[in-house]
Amino acid sequence: MTTLAHRRTSPLELNALINSAPRTPVHLSDEHRRSLSARFRAVASDTHRRIDAWMVEQAGKTSPGFRWSPATARRVLATGALRRCGRVTHVSMIDAVTDEIADQLARATSGFARRGSLGDWLSGLCASEIALVTAEAASWAAQNAEVAEWITSPWQVPTSDAYYDVARARTTLRGRRDLAVTLDEARVILRFRAGSPGKSAGPGLRSDLTIEALTHPEGLAPARIIGVWPEAGVCLSVEGTMDDLRSGARDLVRTAVVLRRLEGARAA
Amino acid sequence: MNRSSTATPRNIADALRGERERRPPADVSSASGLRSILEDGIYEILGGARPISSLVIRASSLRQMGTISDISLAPLSRVRGILVNQVLRLLSIGAIVNDPFNDALRAWRLEVRQSDLLDLVDHLDADERARLETDVTAHAVTLTRSLGSVRASWRPRSTVRASQYLGAGAVILRDVIDLMVGTTSSELANVALFDLTTSPLGEGAERTMRYHALVQTLRTSVVPLRTTCFSSATGEMWSLDVDSETLVRSANEVLAAIDRLWREQ
Repeated sequence: MTTLAHRRTSPLELNALINSAPRTPVHLSDEHRRSLSARFRAVASDTHRRIDAWMVEQAGKTSPGFRWSPATARRVLATGALRRCGRVTHVSMIDAVTDEIADQLARATSGFARRGSLGDWLSGLCASEIALVTAEAASWAAQNAEVAEWITSPWQVPTSDAYYDVARARTTLRGRRDLAVTLDEARVILRFRAGSPGKSAGPGLRSDLTIEALTHPEGLAPARIIGVWPEAGVCLSVEGTMDDLRSGARDLVRTAVVLRRLEGARAA
Repeated sequence: MNRSSTATPRNIADALRGERERRPPADVSSASGLRSILEDGIYEILGGARPISSLVIRASSLRQMGTISDISLAPLSRVRGILVNQVLRLLSIGAIVNDPFNDALRAWRLEVRQSDLLDLVDHLDADERARLETDVTAHAVTLTRSLGSVRASWRPRSTVRASQYLGAGAVILRDVIDLMVGTTSSELANVALFDLTTSPLGEGAERTMRYHALVQTLRTSVVPLRTTCFSSATGEMWSLDVDSETLVRSANEVLAAIDRLWREQ
């Protein structure tokens, strides 16, 4: 049975949700990893595939040609800015975003940015366009920082998203995570999303939960994963139970199956 | 109503923040009452029936209540509004805008890439384009002169979107706040909302200001300090300190708009 819960995003509700998370985390064993790997191997793929919660929510539909825009760039820049604000005191969100953009531009200038990367895209923009990207990222960062400041338990911005390479299955799983809250032995993961949660938001959260557990060196699942939709003022949460982890793994494998079918249909 | 009106505000930024000593404690209890008013009212209007598609209320639904047509909805007026709003976004982060029309157009193009309104701008003849450029520049100059310095420590956020589902999804309140400063994590009421319009201020602007405050309250469960509206056409600004009366009044206006939409459907 799923533990999906729906709450309003208010300081009181969010802290209640975090503090009521179970304190004894579920553990994924090597046997679980082997079983998952076998299932992915059974779904052959001609190319290396990358699966994330978004693809699970879209039922395996691939994105129609990714391109950078202020909206697609804001998460990378805002997360970096939030992390920077945590490290350096008295730095404003706008300055932190500006520094993030400067880092990306420096990478592009020194030749370290790949073609099509964020740094490469930013390096081709004029001053007013850079200003709009800054405004968009700073607004996103400020909105997320506001929610983060409501949290009474210690939290930090993870250094990166969760990536898990499924052994011998030519598959990488990517789990998004924006904040990690520490509760004694357990941890709660928060994801910030734009818009309002759709019908498939639950499966998406469960996939992120499973990937987060897989990437933990000891296979410890987060006590709870919370998807926060600040624009809608709601949050959804899933507990790190074995049922939800299994459900998340099933959705990921199902997405791989759909991708395989689409690949086959394209080839035909 | 606690409204202050001035023909030429010296500084919008200062008016938004006001005096720190005079800020009331943050109201975190009114949101649930407002939600009840709205849910009960929606039930009274819809009864057990369910609309074919969700009834969507926007600030524009309240702005135009009772009016048959609104000149600000003409395509070129909308383009002007979008471009002046882009100028506000750039100014809010401290960017220097030397060429308002072209800077705003470049920023808008980066954001949307393709839209009917963008096509319209691309197909304007030289005279029409020059007229639009002059118009946007005039509005941008009024805005720039009046805005003052928005400090980064106020955490300015531009084009803040919000949506609220009511009546089990039968009604959706949608809103976009042009500029927001302050934070809900303070013990004192701290958030100020700013609406920019390129039309002269009228009764509809008052309803819009209240609507922004209502949706923001429902979204965060924290009542904002102040809601303001500025006209870049006249340089006039209206400011309203948000209290429970303001919010209840807006909830009733929203219910009236829902009733109207439901009858039309």
